[in-house]
Amino acid sequence: MSLGLLAPFSLVLAGLAALPVIAHLARQTPRDRMAFGAMLLLERVVKRLRRRRRIKDWFLLLLRVLALVLLALAAAGPRLTYPGGVPEFGGTGRVVIVIDRSMSMSLTEAGSTLLSRARDEGVRVLDQLPGGTQVGVVVFDEHAMALTSELTDDLDRARSLVRGIQPTHGVSDLKGGLHEARRLLGGEPGEVIVVSDEAGPVAVREARPELEALVELGSTVLPLTVKGEPPRNVAVTEASYGSGEEGGSLTLKLANYGPQSIEVACEVTLPDGQQIPIFADLPPEGEAAERLTIPQEALGGVGAAVCQDPDLPADDARYFHLPRVGASRVLVVDGDPGDTPTRSEVYFLERALAPWGGVKSGVAIDVTAPSGLASLDPEKHRVVFMANVADPRPFGPLLTEFVRKGGNLVITAGDNITAERYNAALGAILPAPFRKPRSLADREEQGVPLLLPTTDHPLFAAFSRSGRSAFASVRSHRILTLEAYKDRPDEVTTLLQYEGGAPALVERRIGAGRVLVWTSTVDWSWSNFPLQAAFMPSMQRLVHYLGGESGNGAARFEGIVGEPVRIPLPDLNVDPDVVGPDGSVVRSRMEGSQVVFTPERAGAYRLEIEDAAPLAWIAVNTNPVESDVRPYDTLAAVERELNPELFVRHADLSGGLLGFAFGALVLQALLALRRSS
Amino acid sequence: MLARVRHLHLKARHLTDALLMGEHRSKRVGQAIEFADYQEYLPGMDLRGLDWRVWGRTDRFVVKRFETETELPCAVVLDLSGDLTTGASGIKGYPDLDRSKAGYAITLAATLLYWLHRHGEPVGLELIAGDEVAFRSLPSRSGRNHLQLCFLMLASAKAGGVAGLAGALARVGEHVRRRSWVAVITDGMEEPGEWLGSLAAFSRRGADLRFFHLFDADEWALRFDRPALFYSPEGGEVLAVDPAGAQAAFAEVVDEYVEEVRGGVVKHGGRYFDTSTAQPLEHLLRRAILDQPSRAVTRR
Repeated sequence: MSLGLLAPFSLVLAGLAALPVIAHLARQTPRDRMAFGAMLLLERVVKRLRRRRRIKDWFLLLLRVLALVLLALAAAGPRLTYPGGVPEFGGTGRVVIVIDRSMSMSLTEAGSTLLSRARDEGVRVLDQLPGGTQVGVVVFDEHAMALTSELTDDLDRARSLVRGIQPTHGVSDLKGGLHEARRLLGGEPGEVIVVSDEAGPVAVREARPELEALVELGSTVLPLTVKGEPPRNVAVTEASYGSGEEGGSLTLKLANYGPQSIEVACEVTLPDGQQIPIFADLPPEGEAAERLTIPQEALGGVGAAVCQDPDLPADDARYFHLPRVGASRVLVVDGDPGDTPTRSEVYFLERALAPWGGVKSGVAIDVTAPSGLASLDPEKHRVVFMANVADPRPFGPLLTEFVRKGGNLVITAGDNITAERYNAALGAILPAPFRKPRSLADREEQGVPLLLPTTDHPLFAAFSRSGRSAFASVRSHRILTLEAYKDRPDEVTTLLQYEGGAPALVERRIGAGRVLVWTSTVDWSWSNFPLQAAFMPSMQRLVHYLGGESGNGAARFEGIVGEPVRIPLPDLNVDPDVVGPDGSVVRSRMEGSQVVFTPERAGAYRLEIEDAAPLAWIAVNTNPVESDVRPYDTLAAVERELNPELFVRHADLSGGLLGFAFGALVLQALLALRRSS
Repeated sequence: MLARVRHLHLKARHLTDALLMGEHRSKRVGQAIEFADYQEYLPGMDLRGLDWRVWGRTDRFVVKRFETETELPCAVVLDLSGDLTTGASGIKGYPDLDRSKAGYAITLAATLLYWLHRHGEPVGLELIAGDEVAFRSLPSRSGRNHLQLCFLMLASAKAGGVAGLAGALARVGEHVRRRSWVAVITDGMEEPGEWLGSLAAFSRRGADLRFFHLFDADEWALRFDRPALFYSPEGGEVLAVDPAGAQAAFAEVVDEYVEEVRGGVVKHGGRYFDTSTAQPLEHLLRRAILDQPSRAVTRR
């Protein structure tokens, strides 16, 4: 703060202040002498009067001197310079109002949201602008958008645009908002009024370059901050599924951005509708993690964790992926229940796929007799193992349809296999028609070993670092033979071969479905494969490759509100739809082999084609950054760093001094009048 | 001087007569006579004391002995300090008995002395300050000659000098006879806090103290035409005062001062009488001696 004078020479007038002093000292004394018999009393009176008059006269003198000094100071034109909280507004005639409509502006306080207050502020500013002012209106959330294509003097339209601004669930792109404002100003100076809560740790910091550009342009940024007093918000910032007891665990992270500790009631809704209530104690401006157990059986999909918070409801829900747990995705059709475990394919498959049980292994298998195929549910089972099943004909159409709709069928050979029946029932989907089994070696001999697989294929990629050589120990002395075929890319592929070229594992792709034929057995009647080290990882990789793991039936993706979500598509001939949380189709577009859409609200989205299981689940959430409604940097502070001159205020003190001088003159006149009377 | 004494005497007698008018009291007012016992007559004794009835019954000459009530010694203490010179002066600088403060005080003292003498009391006079004073102190005595001496002392006195009330009153109080009647006539123009304590000397001796606080009504109203340099004849600071501007404050000071003096006098068992020179002496004396209300008791 400093004081300056426009006309310092006027201070010479302050010399007039000496006049009343001289007049005060030049009072005359009487000359007549008079004997007085009560001098004792007169002395007392004089003392008393002197005391009073001394005070009164000096006060009078002070008032007169003060009046003259004030007059002289007023004539000198004193100006007080002091720092202001925000830059001074007005003067350029070019104004851009930038209004924040991001999620944090939906914070509710005293019955109204910050955005409604921001709209009111914007209208108030517009009301105060003089006619002829060129104005522009910009809104921003994760994207900034100019509501007026250029500056306009139609203030009514600008008011209407401001009143029509609606909240979104996006993040604050303050930088973009300032950029749009600069664009509207067209490279010329102006005033940018930013109505925002300036909340969050990054919004203002990221906007600094744009602020610098505006200041360099000679513009003034005038922040009008609207915020809660104090800002309060509770948000679910993370929900993730992980291993644990029962069906696994769900870990929730909650954040309290308010200054007081709070207990919130939350409810977790699993994809199958099961609800689990929890309560969380949150420290002031702190976080808490809550862990809850998922039941042993639950459908896969997208679940929601919702906490009650009246301040900012938009971020009270967190959507998370939950795999299908506790229920099998693999169906093993046991065509030859053996009299001993070692003669049972199911025995070896169970040990290989779920050595610690279905829940912990992630692969749980259902076993059924061939007649159980009648109730095959493509939603539930993604992989069907036909283990030495004698006659597939009753289920041929069912299995064919299953594969065509994306199901996976694995056929393993055995003594029960009859080529004619298989060719008749499944000929349309087999890699090649079956022929009769044939012996590669005598039973007493070791059999023919497998050739080492190529690790380029996803099925064997996991063996690239180690374990590949174990395949050399797999030997078979009898196999199911196939009619001659040729590998065709993306259709028929021989994945494993025996020495001598006989196929061991052949794949055929049909749309999204696959059929794999293992030409030997998965017990040790024809092969030693179940006893080899390569067996268990091979089977698990096979199930994984075919999407038979729990919950792996559909792809899982994450998304952020307001940001494009890109989903790579499998090779399909039909365009899938993106279905939103409310069941309606969301607008999407194809970019190459990707479906792209931009969610506007949080929730469970899915990518699906008609009459088929979802191809992908997308859990869309709000950006946790936007939930942090606390103030960090402020635009005013950054702008003050960039150009402190903008914050300097001037006040002309002449009027006030004149008023005080007049008051002093009136007061001294009253005192003098009273004294003389 | 004799003429002045005579004038003073006449004035005192005139005032005393006016006071006694209609009172119908004996010459020996205040002197009670009671029989005490008999004594054998001895040659030279007053024959008027012989009890003829006893002689007739017993043929013995006895003299009645009477016990007279204790005399009431009276003293007038008169302050003639310089401050009393303000006002008119008569021939040769003697105070005008009718118009000056000093003359009013002298006339008051003479009248009191004469009145007391007329009642057969021994009277005395103590002068404080004053110029050309033959005697400072005349102890209480009876007799016409003593009264004339007092009058001479009063007639010859001029106001002047500094009273020094604290010391003077203390000195007089120590020497006054017990249970005497004492009139103190003064303007009291010294700090009351210094001299009021000296009145305790009178109360200790059981005196009946009458305090006549003398003042000039015009002075105490500060009735002067124009600003002037005011000074005291007793010396001290000269003050430039605008009477018009100071009158209100002066009235406050006078009230406070009078209350201070009155309180001090009453505290020491005395009776206070504000004694304005504008007030007829007769009225004052009626209040002070006969305890009759005055018709005009005003200071101003």
